[in-house]
Amino acid sequence: MIWFKLSFKNLIRRKTRSTLTVLGVAIAIAVLYSLFQFQQGYQARLKGELGALGAHVIVVPKGCPYEAATIALHGGKWPRYMDESLLAKVKANPGVAEAAGVIMDAVFAPGDKNVILLGIDEDYMKLRPAWRISGHWFAADSDVIMGSTAAQDAGVKTGDYWVVPEKNVRLHVAGVLSRTNTQDDGFVFLPRKTLQKISGLEGKLVLILIKARHVDQTDALVASLKASEVDMNVFPLSELLGTISSLMASTKVFVSAIILIAVILGGVGVLNTVLMAVFERTREIGMMKAMGGSRGDVFKLVWAETILTTVLGGLAGVAIALVSSRLVEAIIRGMIPYAPRGSLIGFSLPTLLMCVGLSLVLGLVAGFYPAFRAASVKPVEAIKAE
Amino acid sequence: MKNRGQGVEESRSLVSGLNPGILESSNPAVQARGLTRVYRRGAETIHALKGIGLDVKCGEFVGVVGHSGAGKTTLLNLIGLMDRPTEGSLQVLGTDVARRGVRLDALRRKNIGFVFQEFYLMPALTATENVLLPTMWGKGNGENMRDKEIKGQRDRVGESGHLIPRSLDPSIPRERAKRLLDLVGLGHRMTHKPSELSGGEMQRVAVARALINRPRLLLADEPTGNLDTAIRDGIFNLLQALSRDSGLTVIVATHDLSLESRFTRVIRLEDGNVV
Repeated sequence: MIWFKLSFKNLIRRKTRSTLTVLGVAIAIAVLYSLFQFQQGYQARLKGELGALGAHVIVVPKGCPYEAATIALHGGKWPRYMDESLLAKVKANPGVAEAAGVIMDAVFAPGDKNVILLGIDEDYMKLRPAWRISGHWFAADSDVIMGSTAAQDAGVKTGDYWVVPEKNVRLHVAGVLSRTNTQDDGFVFLPRKTLQKISGLEGKLVLILIKARHVDQTDALVASLKASEVDMNVFPLSELLGTISSLMASTKVFVSAIILIAVILGGVGVLNTVLMAVFERTREIGMMKAMGGSRGDVFKLVWAETILTTVLGGLAGVAIALVSSRLVEAIIRGMIPYAPRGSLIGFSLPTLLMCVGLSLVLGLVAGFYPAFRAASVKPVEAIKAE
Repeated sequence: MKNRGQGVEESRSLVSGLNPGILESSNPAVQARGLTRVYRRGAETIHALKGIGLDVKCGEFVGVVGHSGAGKTTLLNLIGLMDRPTEGSLQVLGTDVARRGVRLDALRRKNIGFVFQEFYLMPALTATENVLLPTMWGKGNGENMRDKEIKGQRDRVGESGHLIPRSLDPSIPRERAKRLLDLVGLGHRMTHKPSELSGGEMQRVAVARALINRPRLLLADEPTGNLDTAIRDGIFNLLQALSRDSGLTVIVATHDLSLESRFTRVIRLEDGNVV
């Protein structure tokens, strides 16, 4: 106990310097925690979003695959369409169990709020067995089903009427979806024909979601769909995950470099501070040795102080990362082309332990040389030094 | 109220602890022959000690006096095993310290207590914690095992067959620290930090700290150099009493010639020679 107390008391003897050193480590660890958690959260959320699509394969118009993926996952306006006749061809493929054609549009509600409109039919419902509708399915062309968040934002409930922004078309809210915790919560679902009509996109589709008859033969299905029609992009979901992940991989190198630099700077800061403290405390260390302290004792004491500094920095870093997660997330989101919805940086015990473990290693490495210098102090020379 | 006899007994058990045979030892505590220490500072050669010889018996209260630069500190450093002689022989508590391979730090830790002009107390620790500091050292080397072994023990039976309550057991470091502080007259200052103590009180804490590992030899280098006359006398009385009552060998280096009469013997140094 007295070892720990002595190490801790030695740290707080130089409050400002120790605080700045701890802060240096804390910033490095905060960056590490945030970016690591972001990547973890990104992968998990992305998989969740892809899973929520309820499809094994998607078909989109020819064009940039990243944009297509974003549209497929988050909805939006894309100036490329497929002919609706493709849907029948897809459905005719023996490997296809279910196929749902989707048309999408995006409008701005008052307050510049983006509203995503999805034109669907009964086939879409087959891919969403978990949907619970408060109300009923489309009974008329003028019916609409709102995602829970979309209904909340629009201030409507089942039975109300809702006017499509920009289009001035009045629709009847036939139902509101129970919360799904997926991207569907933010969408407004219309009968496909209705949306095609009010958006002037008759006979067009932006997306076909396909459920394979045999999941283990998805690759063969994709190959056969590609062979049957050249005017569309066919992605298995696994490829979409890979496509987006590879996009992230390019930022991963950049991110890893930032983490490495931050950790090295933190370590050098700690080394410098502890070394300075050792030089300043030469006489004190000499006295410890005169009182019976061995090289090992002095080494342990200085090492313990360094480790205490970095572990405190590690814990503070995680706290900073959690407190500033929204800000950091917003910054990172601005730097990458696609990010899943929802909070990506949250509390994670394994990541916390990893950060504390790393700060411990940082302390062990950064404290070694100062501890060695301190242990090498000769008591006679130290006591003479003034 | 304790009578003098009880006080002497307590001092003996507290300071010399469980080291039997120290008091009655007839071997010299320190024996030097042709002791020489030469320093080289760049091109300059400094002969700090020039082949001196001396004997200090166990239990003596010896003063090493001389002007600044006479070699007092060098001599104490050599006796205190913080330095090795350039030439000559030096026996400290029966060990030839000039011999290669002798582990000076372990020998020092077990047998020698130091008091310096500067008190060097840890400002953030209380008086008791400061006294306890030297008990931290050496445990990793398997030393101070006695303290480890009795950890958690409640009471124990003393050599006389009487039960010693844990709270009074001087072999437990914290209890010993408290009793040493009591012995140096600071029983009421145990939880005080150095900033709350006077110079004399801080030096008393330093004396208690020097005694915590039950040394056989106490070395004090100008222990009263920073203190005024009244406090100086108090510290000297304490060192004198420790030597007299516990049989501890005490060697004090001082440039204050007025203190000569307080020692049982004086070794006078001048320009690296005993005169």
